[in-house]
Amino acid sequence: MHPTTEATSKWVYLWARLVTVLTFPLIWLGGLVTTHDAGMAVPDWPGTFGYNLFLYPISTWLFGPFDLFVEHGHRLLASVVGLFAIGLCVIAYRTEGRRWVVATCFAFLAAIIAQGVLGGVRVLFDARTLAMIHGCSGPMVFALGGFIAMVSSPRWQFATSNRTGRKVGAIGFVAILLFLLSIAQLFVGAHLRHSLPTWLPIFFMSLVHTHLLMATLILVAILALAYLVRSPSNRVSTELRSPSNALIAIVVVQVLLGFATWIANYATPWIELTPWLARYTVQGKGYWESMIVTGHQATGSLLILASLWMVCRAYRKNALAETSQASNLKLDPYVQRKHQPEAVSVGIE
Amino acid sequence: MVFISRYPDIPKFPVACGIAVLSLVGFNGCAPLEIAFRANELHVASLSQDSSGQQISESALRGQKLVEELFGTPDFPKWPDGVGPAVDMDKVSRAAGPVGRNESKIERGLYRKHCVQCHGTAGDGLGPASALLAPYPRDFRRGSFKFKSTPTGKKPTHADLVRTLENGLPGTAMPAFGTLKLSPEFEQDVDALAHYVRFLSIRGEVERKVISAIVHDELDGDTPIQMATLVAANWIAADSHALQPPTINIPGSDQERTASIERGKSIFLSELTACSKCHGTAGDGKGTSQDFDEWTKDWTIRAGIDPAKKAEWKAMKKYGALKPVIDSARNLTFGALRGGTTREDIYRRIVLGIEGSPMPAIARKENGNPGVTEEGIHDLVEYIYFISGLESHGGSQVNGMSKGEYHASNH
Repeated sequence: MHPTTEATSKWVYLWARLVTVLTFPLIWLGGLVTTHDAGMAVPDWPGTFGYNLFLYPISTWLFGPFDLFVEHGHRLLASVVGLFAIGLCVIAYRTEGRRWVVATCFAFLAAIIAQGVLGGVRVLFDARTLAMIHGCSGPMVFALGGFIAMVSSPRWQFATSNRTGRKVGAIGFVAILLFLLSIAQLFVGAHLRHSLPTWLPIFFMSLVHTHLLMATLILVAILALAYLVRSPSNRVSTELRSPSNALIAIVVVQVLLGFATWIANYATPWIELTPWLARYTVQGKGYWESMIVTGHQATGSLLILASLWMVCRAYRKNALAETSQASNLKLDPYVQRKHQPEAVSVGIE
Repeated sequence: MVFISRYPDIPKFPVACGIAVLSLVGFNGCAPLEIAFRANELHVASLSQDSSGQQISESALRGQKLVEELFGTPDFPKWPDGVGPAVDMDKVSRAAGPVGRNESKIERGLYRKHCVQCHGTAGDGLGPASALLAPYPRDFRRGSFKFKSTPTGKKPTHADLVRTLENGLPGTAMPAFGTLKLSPEFEQDVDALAHYVRFLSIRGEVERKVISAIVHDELDGDTPIQMATLVAANWIAADSHALQPPTINIPGSDQERTASIERGKSIFLSELTACSKCHGTAGDGKGTSQDFDEWTKDWTIRAGIDPAKKAEWKAMKKYGALKPVIDSARNLTFGALRGGTTREDIYRRIVLGIEGSPMPAIARKENGNPGVTEEGIHDLVEYIYFISGLESHGGSQVNGMSKGEYHASNH
């Protein structure tokens, strides 16, 4: 048996994937809360109109006001994700050999609890700034779940394709740059979504321009990565193509959704372009408008996750390349250090 | 990243998240949001340009405080004692304040939920997104509204405001909230918002008058309440000025309709109406007029500032002025008529004009004055209805010709 199989768990991988997949609709539902300004649709927390969260009458929830439906649904789904995160910690504690992965699972659970408390405090204090922070940290918690799935995956543990022991060069640098830009873009986007009535127009305008500038930089970084992972020096690194392809698909959708979001919110200043734009009337809290705006925010979370995927794969390859150069083994550096402290020490240094 | 590869045991991501969250708190602050009606510094500045920035701020703040005594704050609006009931304060209270539901599930904060992003807390048209929109969001404080059924100088009726809220304005950021009426819990929202718009407009107009009195040193103790009474009375009287358009008979045959359109076209191109000067000879908005709207002229031309010269107007930016933009005439051929798309709506726009914009009311032939007859106005309505393609957006047929063919054969 391969040494790494003793230290790692496929159950952590499967469960982490499940939790991450569950977190995405939670992000979407959270986005709908913001789109419909439904954050205060339920004025109390942790209960719902005096009821225990899980005992709130289902008919009142499903057939009541839409903003209440969205907000209470967000809370319920968040609770479900929290329960699954507890399950992940239990599984990781019992089956995962790498301490840092177990610690990350517990950190994930802590982040979900903190995120829930943040959402609750936002309600108790009716603080829009906290709603903005809640909106920023949500996608990062989602990315953390994805990170656990990535580092538990069979590809991460065996990484058999890095047979050449070659490093990925500039890909890692561009990937981390893209990841940081995506997070910064999330912050700016969250500000635009949670703008305060007291803001001056010039501040909002600056944020929009910053958002557009960073979108351009993100697009350039993704195109640069697409080129680099296909360049002759990296042809063997086929596993970098999957995150690159995902990034390209996501950014195309995201750019289109970005334009659509502006039109769905504010129409377009260039109404003379086509009669359709001139005739288009924004529907206040309309179905398609809500879906487009929320979709743009949710796709932003996918962009963060995909850029983190690229970062992980690139730096994993680098770490393995160093290790394989040093010991001619293709193993997890942590496990390697556990079993062969001296060899890994050379590899990491 | 070298750091990460060297120390794989440290959970970096949560640490990075924590740093990011803390930086956000530091950037935005966590204090409860206190919202006040922004003082109208721009109006003070336009009336007293020679004053220092500090004097302008002080005068604006003084005006704001005096008006606050009458109308309260954004979270706790009130109606001044002794002033005629121009608004329903129960509905105003529902539209005001922070967004959310109370313990009885009654929603409030409708204005902040739907409107404040563009129109601003005070209805000054200076919401966060305002500077990026075309046209700029309306500043309610002048008491002028574009699409209404009353003549220039008169307040819009409540139904006019409801119509704009329900239908929105095509090609602008003004949404249609008509779909809210489909849900039982939201069906009263539009009505409540219309009352709040009236409230903000009255409050803002009183503030302007109080500021004018402050600047011209004409303020006495009763001035604010007198002005509130005057402004509110104008709103209460709005319904009595509403124009009920006549029934416009659609020509019975294609020949009659073509003749009506031809007559309407000649009126459109005539010197008397000068429609084509702004809307272009084809109604495509490519006229030669380069005028500004009244909201811009208020703080530029009337204050001795040339809105076309940045060196002159940019001094007003610090008081909240947005870059002056030409108020372009509508391209009628797109069918995006903001005042409404029925023949009656077009009639209203022709007869009443669009207040605050360069679009005047038509000169009517009456009492021996030169102008357009009632029949001529009907022909003009038919012509605009036709070139707008409102029947089928480009597919309307007259004498077997579509709108485009008609134009090609007539130019």
